[in-house]
Amino acid sequence: MNGEEHLISMLVNNKPGVLSRVAGVFGRLGYNIESLCVAATTDPEISKITLVSKSNSDSTERTKKQLEKLVDVVEVTELGQIQSVQRELILIGIKLQQEHRAEIARAVDIFGCKIISMKSDYYILEVVDNKEKIETVLNYFAPLGIEEIARTGVIALQKDK
Amino acid sequence: MQKAAILEKCGFFIKIGRYKMEKTGAEIILQTLKEEGTEVIFGYPGANTLPIHDRLMESPIKHYLMRHEQAAAHAADGYARATGKVGVCLSTSGPGATNMVTGIATAYMDSTPLIALTGQVTTNLLGSDAFQETDIIGITMPITKHSFLLNDVEEVESTLKEAFELARSGRPGPVLVDMPRDVLTASCKLDSKSNNGQRSKKQHTSPKEKLEQIKQIATYLNRAERPIIIIGGGVKLGKACTQLSELIKKGRIPFVTTMMGIGSIDSSNGFNLGFIGTHGNELANSTIHHSDFILAVGTRFSDRSTSNIEEFAPLATIAQIDIDPTSIGKNIKVDLQLISDIREAITEMIPLVEKKERPEWFQRINKERELSEKRGSREGCGPAGKLISMIQDVMPEKTTAVADVGLNQIWTVRSWQPKTPRGLITCGGMGTMGFSVPAAIGAKIGVQNQEVVAFSGDGGFYMNIQELATISYYNLPVKIVVFNNGNLGMIRQLQDLFYGARFNACELGNKVDMVMVAKGFGIDAGRVSVNDPESGIEKMRKTDGPYLLEVMVDPDTYVFPLIPPGLSNIEMIYRRSD
Repeated sequence: MNGEEHLISMLVNNKPGVLSRVAGVFGRLGYNIESLCVAATTDPEISKITLVSKSNSDSTERTKKQLEKLVDVVEVTELGQIQSVQRELILIGIKLQQEHRAEIARAVDIFGCKIISMKSDYYILEVVDNKEKIETVLNYFAPLGIEEIARTGVIALQKDK
Repeated sequence: MQKAAILEKCGFFIKIGRYKMEKTGAEIILQTLKEEGTEVIFGYPGANTLPIHDRLMESPIKHYLMRHEQAAAHAADGYARATGKVGVCLSTSGPGATNMVTGIATAYMDSTPLIALTGQVTTNLLGSDAFQETDIIGITMPITKHSFLLNDVEEVESTLKEAFELARSGRPGPVLVDMPRDVLTASCKLDSKSNNGQRSKKQHTSPKEKLEQIKQIATYLNRAERPIIIIGGGVKLGKACTQLSELIKKGRIPFVTTMMGIGSIDSSNGFNLGFIGTHGNELANSTIHHSDFILAVGTRFSDRSTSNIEEFAPLATIAQIDIDPTSIGKNIKVDLQLISDIREAITEMIPLVEKKERPEWFQRINKERELSEKRGSREGCGPAGKLISMIQDVMPEKTTAVADVGLNQIWTVRSWQPKTPRGLITCGGMGTMGFSVPAAIGAKIGVQNQEVVAFSGDGGFYMNIQELATISYYNLPVKIVVFNNGNLGMIRQLQDLFYGARFNACELGNKVDMVMVAKGFGIDAGRVSVNDPESGIEKMRKTDGPYLLEVMVDPDTYVFPLIPPGLSNIEMIYRRSD
């Protein structure tokens, strides 16, 4: 699907089947969900869904209206880059080759990564940052032998509430 | 193991003796339905709903056994549209539930308040691909306002109450409640759990903002030189017909309707220009095109109403009022919006609207009316339209007409002049062939003191023909008029006009003797030509019970004018040679 990435934040009732209904809206309109994070808020009856999807602006408006139609959706907000703080967590597993040891140590330092597991030939690094920074880190480590990654997808909060 | 113990283990046993002070899930459902005003259920039983059918024998709620679950949903829909109450339909799990899908979707598209109760396998079998297990919640997610799976007998009452509240509040719609058999047979004390499951929605507009928006819309309306009101189905649903009529008369504002809005306001008050859209009235479409201000009330601007949205009402400022925030600006970008209960909004707007004569605007409209009459646009329904008018003339004033889908629908909605907002029922959004006969059953049961006439084509009639058995069994005095052109007429017209007259898959043929079929079902029937219908209409009128009138129509009888796909509302075709 072509189009810009849109970051949508939703408050929903914390009940079975709600996520499926939300995801179903994107599925039936033909939009892929690029990333999705869900967890309860300070109110255990309400969950927050943060979702990134690609579409053009008109389609996003239509999608938002379909989401608002769902009985269990309390609020739908589209967040822009400027008005929100965005973070993503990524774990990177790197096969360690001796000749890269010094470079990896330097990169860990420069990018502010955390080494959370270290064996003789395998590191797992943790990076928490915005999407651009994470892409930069991934691009840097790619030639050094990334074995595996796991990323959470974007979570975000509005700067002004 | 003793029989009772085996039955209990299988989830069939209804615990009456040991739990005298308690009620089963099935009993709670029936009691809650009664408390919510349910008088009738349209259904079809299966093993998984037998706990309910068993307890129905002691309930004041009457169950009508339909011959197909799709028809049960349409009947509940017709009942709801005719009465303004919530319709209830019931099916078993698996194929029973999936058969109801078309009926549920039809209700969803036209915002009919409906409760669809579906049986389900016992909770311990969910996900095991058990016999007649289907994920009906998953299947119906996009076509219900909401759905519930009953997990526990303790939550049955609160869930049912919430389902009714959802079905009839805000923008009404169908709500599905899936009922595992063991929940129906389990027991608990009624009122054992308070209804704490109410969903809360964000308040979109504060009362102060609302009043400002009403004032703003009224100001635009007063300033407008060529204003028009579009009335959608939401006006009937919001019970705002009287208030809107008052506003129209005070401001002398002409109005058009969508197909679902037909009948909202007495069409004889002189301000009605007809209905808009693909098969709408030429005058209605052209007036919209030339207007400078549109007040759209209770309509979502469906593509059938607007045709090409890029060219819709190019000169107009558009204001939209709807209770459903998601319908505002969904299909057409609007300049002013008001999310509100329509009746409240219009009531507050009436004192703000100025009395105005608007002579130039009406002069222009009258000129357009003359031109369109010269072009012969009123003759578009031909002899079929005349026949429908003749039937209306001989029937009592408050007769309800139920139209199916196809040419017969356009003939009916353009020729039947409903005297009350609920005097014409048809399915707009979904275009479901086979709707009219079962919906007429529901309507007749809902308004027993009124006559009900179902209009259908041969194609739609065949789709739920089995319901003649229901009509016959209950001796429901429903009148059925079937226009038989031996074809899928609308498809034939489209192939004729836009596919070079290459007719394919549209001919049904005339080998079926409909009169004999009806008589085989135990229903009196007769056959007439569309050009010579008097004797048949007379016989139908005089028959006390149900009657089927087969009307033979030439397959080249089409409906005009119409807007070809992709064109604007003023680019109409008036005849086959255009």
